[in-house]
Amino acid sequence: MSEVPPKGGFSFDLCKRNDMLIQKGLKAPSFLKTGTTIVGLIFKDGVILGADTRATEGPIVADKNCEKIHYMAPNIYCCGAGTAADTEAVTDMVSSQLRLHRYQTGRDSRVITALTLLKKHLFSYQGHVSAALVLGGVDITGPHLHTIYPHGSTDTLPFATMGSGSLAAMSVFEAKYKEGLTRDEGIKLVAEAICSGIFNDLGSGSNVDICVITKGNKEYLRNYMEPNPRTYVSSKGYSFTKKTEVLRTKITPLMERVEITEVGEAMEE
Amino acid sequence: MGDSQYSFSLTTFSPSGKLVQIEHALTAVGSGQTSLGIKASNGVVIATEKKLPSILVDEASVQKIQHLTPNIGVVYSGMGPDFRVLVRKSRKQAEQYNRLYKEPIPVTQLVRETATVMQEFTQSGGVRPFGVSLLVAGYDDKGPQLYQVDPSGSYFSWKASAMGKNVSNAKTFLEKRYTEDMELDDAIHTAILTLKEGFEGEISSKNIEIGKIGADKVFRVLTPAEIDDYLAEVE
Repeated sequence: MSEVPPKGGFSFDLCKRNDMLIQKGLKAPSFLKTGTTIVGLIFKDGVILGADTRATEGPIVADKNCEKIHYMAPNIYCCGAGTAADTEAVTDMVSSQLRLHRYQTGRDSRVITALTLLKKHLFSYQGHVSAALVLGGVDITGPHLHTIYPHGSTDTLPFATMGSGSLAAMSVFEAKYKEGLTRDEGIKLVAEAICSGIFNDLGSGSNVDICVITKGNKEYLRNYMEPNPRTYVSSKGYSFTKKTEVLRTKITPLMERVEITEVGEAMEE
Repeated sequence: MGDSQYSFSLTTFSPSGKLVQIEHALTAVGSGQTSLGIKASNGVVIATEKKLPSILVDEASVQKIQHLTPNIGVVYSGMGPDFRVLVRKSRKQAEQYNRLYKEPIPVTQLVRETATVMQEFTQSGGVRPFGVSLLVAGYDDKGPQLYQVDPSGSYFSWKASAMGKNVSNAKTFLEKRYTEDMELDDAIHTAILTLKEGFEGEISSKNIEIGKIGADKVFRVLTPAEIDDYLAEVE
């Protein structure tokens, strides 16, 4: 019997198996989540996105300085929270589709196009692709900021936060956001919100990444702030005062030396 | 010779060992507008006539030279609609390669994949070959490259080549004028002169198209203003 490859679409068979195993008491393996605080806000001239840089695997920090702001198009960037593999794969895939689309149309990509491609993909996987995204960019119709949830719903907002540190960051935004912020005010507010997540949420930490997108220009400020420098390495270096004395030397070879003498003729090929 | 009895079916060889449909496809190419390409020491230039069926056609909307990737461009002679389909397929293949290997597709790879598509259409049921020959110009790690792909799916690397109506005159002209150490600007001048050779009517920036790629590895189609400058220099 020949194997017919599936025609496409997600096969949910393994999900049923996983549910059955969990019910029987199996502990599911933990996957690399990004814990995360990601934020975005619209300011006078465009959009500012911000993210922390800690990737966690359960209680362990897997990556102290990962990149959570993903490139989608020259004028569109996307922050990702949730399972790291899912956010990377889905933003990579949609970025590729957008590039092909740009060649066909000869125009810059629109944020709403990226939004629709992402939400359609996430919805078709019924929430199993665990990617929560903050998508922002500036296109011909102006600046746009959206949030996308793993099940495929979206919001359009002037300021947004996602991830385990979202409440900490949102409290900062709700207190201090106003319309028509300048670039510097906006960057300061985003950095403050991310720091709030870094210091108050266990799943977020390390440094602050910021991306400023305006009409016709973008600035990716990687590690804009580093409020958690590593201080345990001694700047003086280490010096050992007393050298170890050698008392006795004995060398034992691990393999016997074997002598080979050729007898007889070589084997015929 | 009995060849005509075998010309109806693409997938049947004629007694003389030819696939007659491909011969006919090459004839379609040969009656298309002239296009040519020249590989210089520091880049590649491709150019084509852009004769529109009437003066009422908006020539700014017609673009015969297309990008396949930021560093690979393509021009054709033959049937425009067939070219559109091939460009679309090639762009998708380049993008898939990029996604899989996270590197820009090498020129030879893209040419090979495009040629494979064209060959598939010579060995399948119910389809006909593409009525275009392509000139692919690219600049990657191996330097500047120029390839020609025929309806049969065969491809060749050229230092300079021409296709379409005026092919034999153009090739003779190129053979005389081509030098190994030509620079990109010289190549553009030579391309314009070659097009002028068999041009019916007055040559201007409105009825030719030129694309070039240099050591910056960015393929660009020249604007009409830039073409005017080069035309003035050639005069």
